[in-house]
Amino acid sequence: MEIRGVFIQDTFAEAFGMRAARLVITARTHKWAREAALKLTGFATSVIACKCEAGIERELGPAETPDARPGVSVLFFTMDMDSLGKRLVERIGQTVLTCPTASCYDGLPEAADRLSAGRALRVFGDRLQMSKIVGGQRYWRIPVMEGECLIQESFGVQKKGVGGGNFLVLAVSADAALAAAEAAVKAIEGTPGIILPFPGGVVRSGSKVGARGYTGMIASTNDAYCPTVRPRTKSELPDGVNSVLEIVLDGLDAPAISRAMRAGIDAACRPGVRAIGAGNYGGKLGPYHFHLRQVMADE
Amino acid sequence: MSDSVRLTLRAAIDQPIEIDGLTPDRTANLTEADIAALSVLAGSHRAALGDFFTVQGERSDRLHIEGDLRNVDGLGAGTASGELLVHGSAGRRVGAGMAGGWIDVRGDVGDDAGLGMHGGALRITGDAGDRLGAAPAGAAKGMSGGEIIVNGSAGAEAAARARRGLIAVGGNVGAEAARAIIAGTLVVFGGIGANPGRGSKRGSIVALGEIDIPSTYAYACSYQPTYVRLLLTYLYRRYGMDSPNGVLDGPYARYCGDAGNPGKGEILKFEQV
Repeated sequence: MEIRGVFIQDTFAEAFGMRAARLVITARTHKWAREAALKLTGFATSVIACKCEAGIERELGPAETPDARPGVSVLFFTMDMDSLGKRLVERIGQTVLTCPTASCYDGLPEAADRLSAGRALRVFGDRLQMSKIVGGQRYWRIPVMEGECLIQESFGVQKKGVGGGNFLVLAVSADAALAAAEAAVKAIEGTPGIILPFPGGVVRSGSKVGARGYTGMIASTNDAYCPTVRPRTKSELPDGVNSVLEIVLDGLDAPAISRAMRAGIDAACRPGVRAIGAGNYGGKLGPYHFHLRQVMADE
Repeated sequence: MSDSVRLTLRAAIDQPIEIDGLTPDRTANLTEADIAALSVLAGSHRAALGDFFTVQGERSDRLHIEGDLRNVDGLGAGTASGELLVHGSAGRRVGAGMAGGWIDVRGDVGDDAGLGMHGGALRITGDAGDRLGAAPAGAAKGMSGGEIIVNGSAGAEAAARARRGLIAVGGNVGAEAARAIIAGTLVVFGGIGANPGRGSKRGSIVALGEIDIPSTYAYACSYQPTYVRLLLTYLYRRYGMDSPNGVLDGPYARYCGDAGNPGKGEILKFEQV
C-alpha cells in the first residue's frame, strides 16, 4: 500500500488496555486553565517512569464547561484503577488546587466506575471545607488563601482506555521526519478521546522491551530503527532512511485510536517520507493490534 | 398502555379534596378504571377519583392533570418516578415526600409544597405558599434531597430544617427562610424576608437580591465563589432560570453563621458593583 508515494508497511501497532479519566479544568481565563492543565499533564509521557500518561485533549469554551468558564479537557491514563486514583489525587492536589482561580470537574459523567479523588483532597480544608450537591453531583469547596477551590468529588473511569497506539515516520532526513511528525500531530490534535502524551506529540526515543547489554532494564533503545547504529544491529530501516520519529497515542477506546492514527498517517505521507511503520512486540504483550493497512483502508 | 394518563377536572371544587397517592409511578401500573376508582378524601368522606375527574389513558408514568386545582391537595405527594404535569394552580402539599421523578406545575401552589421531599425535581412556574421544602409538622428535618424550582415567589419558612437538596426561587421569599437549616442550599433571585437562616447548623443561602443579614452572622470576606457560578449555570441549563447581569461573576459577601449553632452555615450575598 502506498499513500502519495509513501509506503505503508504491512505491520501493526500493539497497544495496551488502560484505565482513563477525563478532567475538565476551568479558570477565570483560558490562560489559567491552561497553566493548571500543563502542570497537571507535565512529566506524564509514559507509565514506565512517570506512573501515568496524560495530555490535553482540547480547549473548551464556556458553553462546554460546568461553570461556564473557559476550560481545558485533559485525559489521564494508568495501568490500573488503584494507580489512577493515587495519581489523580497527587496531581490535582499539586496543580489545580494550587493554581489561581482553577476548578476541576469530571469529564466522564456517564461512567459507572468512579474514583473519589475530590473526596480525598477535601481534607486539605482541615474541616473548614464545605460540600455541595448540584445536579446530583457532590462538589467540595476547599478554603484557600485566594478564596475557594472547587473540586468535584468523584471522577468517572473508562475501563476500556487504550494506551500505546503508535506509528513510525521513516524519513530521508531529520528535517523531513520532523515536518511529517508535526503535520501528523496537527491532524490528530483535537480528536475527541485522544491525547499524544509525549513532547509536542512526538517521540524520538522509541524503545524495545528489556536490554541486551544491561540486566534489569525495563526498556532500552529501539536499535532496529536507530540509523546511527545501522551496521551494528539488526536494522529494520529501509535504504535511504536516516531519521525516524514516532507518534504515540492514548485514547478512550480503540475506535478513537484508529480514527486518530488514520488522520495522522495520512498527514504524515508527504515528501521526504519513505515509509510508515509501527511499533509492536510481536503481538504477545498488548491485546490491541492496529494494522496500518487496515486502519488506512477503513473509512 | 397509553402515551400518558390525562385527568381533567369535571367541575370546580368548592371544598378541599385530598388525593395523596395519585402519582405517575402508580398510574404506570393501573388501568383507566382502576385510576378512576382511586380513593380521594373529600371533606370527611371517601370518594372516587372518577367522581371529580374524567380519566383518559392507562398504564403510563406520564400523568397530566388539568383544571382549577387550587382545592386539590397532595398532588404528586410521594412520587417516586415518572412525570406529573399539572396544568393549572394546585393546592397544598404538592410533591410532599416525593422521592424521585419530575413534577411540573404550570401555575401557583399552596403551602407545604415539597414538604420533606428527598428526591426528584419539583418545578412551579408560579408562586408557592409557606414552608416550601420544609419539615412536616413534628419532623426533625425538611427536604433531604431533590430540587425545587419556583419561578415566582415563595412564602415564609422556605427550606426550614432542610437537610439536603436545592431550592431556587426566582422571586422573593418570606420571613424565616432557611430557619434551622441543617444543610442544603436556598437560592433566591429576589428579596428575602426577615430573619433568614435563623438557627442554621450548616447550609447555604445565596441571596441575589435584598437581604438583611442577621447580627448572628459574621462577615468573612468579599469574593467570587466558583460554586455560585456552577450553581447558577446549572439552574440556567437545567431549568432555564436566567441569571441577572453580573451575578455569575459576583462579587459576593460571605457571612458565616448562625453563631448560636456550630456556625458552619453561610449567607452569600451578591454585591452590586
